Amino acid sequence: MKHLKTFFPYIQKYRREFFWGTFALIVTDAMTLVVPWLLKEFVDSLSGKPTDGQLLEYVFFLLLISLVLMVGRYGWRNFLFTLSRKIEFDILNDLFKHLLSLDRLWYQNQKTGDLMSRATNDLRSVREFFGLGLLILIDAVFVIVMAVSMMGFINIDLTLKVLIPLPFISVLFFFFVKEIGKRHKEVQEHLAKITDRVQENLSGIRVLHAFVQEEYEKERFQKLNLDYIKKNLRVTKVFGVFTPTMVFSMGIAGMISLWMGGKAVIAEEITLGSFVAFNGYLMLLSWPMMGIGYVFNLTQKGLVGMERINELFSAKADIQDGILGDIEIKAKEDVEFKNILFSYPGEKKNSLNEVSLKVSGGQTLGIVGVIGSGKTTLVQSLLRFYDPDSGSILIGNIKLPEISLKTLREYIGYVNQEPFLFSTSIRNNIVLGKGNVTDLEVEKIINAVGLEEDLKRFPDHLDTLIGEKGVTLSGGQKQRIALGRALLKNPKLLILDDSFSNLDSDMEKTLLENLKNSYHSTTKIIISHRLSTILHADKIIVMEDGTITEQGTHSQLLELGGVYSNLFRNQELAREMEILL
Amino acid sequence: MIRNGEDLRDRYKDWILFKRVLVHLKPYSRLVGLAIFLLFAVSLLNLTGPYLTKIVIDDHIKVGDLNGLDVIAVIYLGVLILSFLFQFSQTYLMQYIGQKVMFDLRSKVFAHLHKMSFSYFDRNPIGKMITRVVGDVETLNEMLTSGLILIFSDLFTLFGIFFVMLYLDWKLTLVVCVVLPFLAYATRLYRIRARDALRKFRSHVSELNSYLEENLSGMDTVQCFNREKINLGEFLTINSERLKEDLRTVRYNAFYMPSIDFFSSLAIGMVIWYGGGRFVQDEIQLGILVAFIQYLQKFFEPVRDLAEKFNIIQTAMTSSERIFELLDTPEQIPESVPSRKDLTLKGNVQFKNVWFAYKEDQYVLKDLSFSLEEGESLAIVGATGSGKSTIVNALCRFYEINQGDILFDGQSIKNINKFDLRRQIALVQQDVFLFSGNIMENIRLGNVQMGQEEIESISQAVCSHNFINNLPFKYEQELNEGGGDISSGQRQLLSFARALAAKPRILVLDEATSSVDMETERQIQNGIKEITCGRTSIIIAHRLSTLMHVDKVLVLRQGEIVEFGKRKELLQKRGVFYKLCQTQLKSEKFVTGRDSNGS
Repeated sequence: MKHLKTFFPYIQKYRREFFWGTFALIVTDAMTLVVPWLLKEFVDSLSGKPTDGQLLEYVFFLLLISLVLMVGRYGWRNFLFTLSRKIEFDILNDLFKHLLSLDRLWYQNQKTGDLMSRATNDLRSVREFFGLGLLILIDAVFVIVMAVSMMGFINIDLTLKVLIPLPFISVLFFFFVKEIGKRHKEVQEHLAKITDRVQENLSGIRVLHAFVQEEYEKERFQKLNLDYIKKNLRVTKVFGVFTPTMVFSMGIAGMISLWMGGKAVIAEEITLGSFVAFNGYLMLLSWPMMGIGYVFNLTQKGLVGMERINELFSAKADIQDGILGDIEIKAKEDVEFKNILFSYPGEKKNSLNEVSLKVSGGQTLGIVGVIGSGKTTLVQSLLRFYDPDSGSILIGNIKLPEISLKTLREYIGYVNQEPFLFSTSIRNNIVLGKGNVTDLEVEKIINAVGLEEDLKRFPDHLDTLIGEKGVTLSGGQKQRIALGRALLKNPKLLILDDSFSNLDSDMEKTLLENLKNSYHSTTKIIISHRLSTILHADKIIVMEDGTITEQGTHSQLLELGGVYSNLFRNQELAREMEILL
Repeated sequence: MIRNGEDLRDRYKDWILFKRVLVHLKPYSRLVGLAIFLLFAVSLLNLTGPYLTKIVIDDHIKVGDLNGLDVIAVIYLGVLILSFLFQFSQTYLMQYIGQKVMFDLRSKVFAHLHKMSFSYFDRNPIGKMITRVVGDVETLNEMLTSGLILIFSDLFTLFGIFFVMLYLDWKLTLVVCVVLPFLAYATRLYRIRARDALRKFRSHVSELNSYLEENLSGMDTVQCFNREKINLGEFLTINSERLKEDLRTVRYNAFYMPSIDFFSSLAIGMVIWYGGGRFVQDEIQLGILVAFIQYLQKFFEPVRDLAEKFNIIQTAMTSSERIFELLDTPEQIPESVPSRKDLTLKGNVQFKNVWFAYKEDQYVLKDLSFSLEEGESLAIVGATGSGKSTIVNALCRFYEINQGDILFDGQSIKNINKFDLRRQIALVQQDVFLFSGNIMENIRLGNVQMGQEEIESISQAVCSHNFINNLPFKYEQELNEGGGDISSGQRQLLSFARALAAKPRILVLDEATSSVDMETERQIQNGIKEITCGRTSIIIAHRLSTLMHVDKVLVLRQGEIVEFGKRKELLQKRGVFYKLCQTQLKSEKFVTGRDSNGS
């Protein structure tokens, strides 16, 4: 129940809707209870040969009641369902807002599918708890108490006899729901297995087709599919007994009422009208009896949902925002790493091991190293995706953690190897980091990243939609769009993390030239596997196992005759080969 | 930002969809018939309550006859028990049918996906296809089991009540019927609006979900560009639109549901006024009046039910639409040639004036001709994008060539069953895809009859036996998602074993050694020698060192042949290939161990 606490403020916000909805519901229920009584009066009056006027009076009352009922029903439906929808709306907004504030370390341990399921399925069960659950609870309790009282008022003896099978229904419902829930979980888990299998089949489709595994896979899938059916039918077995049992129990009550009630009428213990009304009240009971069990079910699901959503709300970002507010970091500030030590949580090996490095403002740093040598970790610590375990990073004279994240991210433009593009137009992807951008500015960027020729081939030029994660674009186009959106921010520190890997050497040359000319005051850090990209950097470092093993200018490193010079010669020859082809 | 909502256009008419869903019930038509019969019986039995009430009132209470009451009670009990049994059998039967249909449909969708060619998978995101096989089929099942039952049982109940009332007193029935046109009109108004709101709502929901998903997977980018506030705003906008439509459906329901109750009261009012009047004139019995009131209360239940379940049916319609859309996607390389399981190729391969384009008029292979004799090995050399992998795709018939022909042992590729053909070819690619399961399963794939010994000898041949034997569970070592703890070189060796286990006549290595460093490549080299031995082989590689043992060489530039011929002859010719080898030799001298990423 402790999870409920988080959600109280949401109900609090809509307490007026809650009040009016509940009020309308109770009025409705009360009116529903009047109807059998009216019918009783009508039936009893029949023996006295009522006039047309008297009959019309009954009709009038009936219609009056049903008008009130109509308004009441409209009222509770509108208020209570709207309430739950609005709560869902608010929770989802707050959840999204919270998710936006969480950091990289947290996201690394999450699966998008799981997050989505919390934001959709779990939220739905919370909504149903607040909407349907509360509604049924109020409704059922009120109707049961009132209807049973009315029945008791008509004839207490008959009531007791009739009510014998009824509590049975709620108990039954409760246990059935529990059993169904258990079996249903098995079904859900099996469905997850099916999903995984389909996913694997689709990801490996090229191998499967090349090795003609279609029939084998179909067979395997059918087996899995068949098990799924069996598990489903296990649920059906319980469920199939459940509904008829419910109807049966209500039927038994009806039978007793008809049988004992009929005898009571003949014995003149009750009037015929009372007999009819009694039956009427009994009919009113059937739904709330089931409802009570249903509430248990909804509550159970709702609480689980709340717990899972609460887990998201209670997640905290490790990275603390800097205390310095909106400050302007000057261009050409030095960037300095001092004895940086970092290891990813759960890993023994240090990803960065005592790295010390100074990048002078306005200069270009090139970083080379094999996969896993710590290049990306080093530059991402500048973005504060992670904070180092020890050591410090300075921009100018300011300590990195003191700078607010907003300022820092305006200051840095970061382009990685596989940029994430949004499924919108090319224009929107480029203006991502900036609010008001003129067409001229965009055009300037397009030219700087050499996209103008590509754009001509797209149907709607800048406004061409690029599809989910940019499926319609080539790798090189994606990288250039990503570079464009970083440049549009006019960053004072530009980090290119192997972001030219899909460009041909001519294009790469053009872009580097453009960067040099138009962004000469920007400090640049360039990671690349292709040495031609960083050849002219003011300083080049070689990284190995989280440490810097060589540093200097291109010619200095060549002279050194180490890893860098080997790499360079190797690549030179490969290039010659390419030229020949 | 762009909106990713569902397309609201109707691609199929609702009734056509419904009919197509029903077609899937055909294999179970007997069971369906039985289920409908049971449903019918249950609906009828459910109507006996008020009728028995009538008998009790008219035949016993009115005349003060206690004797028959016990009999009635016993009949009632019998009816209840029968109804219980029927309802249970009906529910189980219907679920059983629904599950069977779901099984058929899911298997069908899965099988159809396997029929699609690679170009289909290039275009469609995996998530979307998973939804078709898993989620959409599930929703459709719900319609079959809940939706269909509902329609039948509600219709039975409606008509049943109507006829019982007619039987009891036709005049009173006709008077009561006065409310029906109003009910029909209200239902129509509701249906049109609710449908519209529901469709828009669902469209907004899927838009909201894709927005959320996109933001979650691209959170780095969102944060790096300080987009938090803007994206929150956009999210709010979409969410508000969703809420608006959601509240619209709530409002329509809030109007419509009470109106049904009002019509119900109106009908009961009619009974009181008209029926009561006729009772006074002794034209009608009291029991009939009471039964009428009870029947009328039951009459409006199915109507309300149908409206409540409207949402389910609507959603199921959308799902079935998407499923049929997939099933209607034609197979791009339909197989008309009957399979000959015993087909064994000798391994002669000939490309005759082959033209191929992925996109119209952008030819990747241009008038390509070359031939390979049985057992020969061919190296294809060329820059990125020159069409090397496309040759492989055409060879395995993953794509259909536009012009020309590919001949195997003199037979046209079009006259060979594509599955038979692929069984003769083993393809080893740069990215090794490992399936969940253990090492043995990953080597033999579907050839379950292949024994441990055979697999071990294959592994020994490609030099993978040693490292496998050093794993804690050896051949039973489970590989987790993405291959887990084994290195890229070891993965590549596994893929060689997998290729050899397929006992191919033609072997294709498509950049199979590019992702490993030179050190590993040296280890793999022996494996390559082993698997190419005695087979027609086609090897594509960046590093010429891999190609030093091949018989023939093909140099490709932008889809055209620059040079083709025996390796030795080409070297003597001192053409492009010769120059390439020279550069390579120089490079070999320089490289003293370390290499970055094979570029």
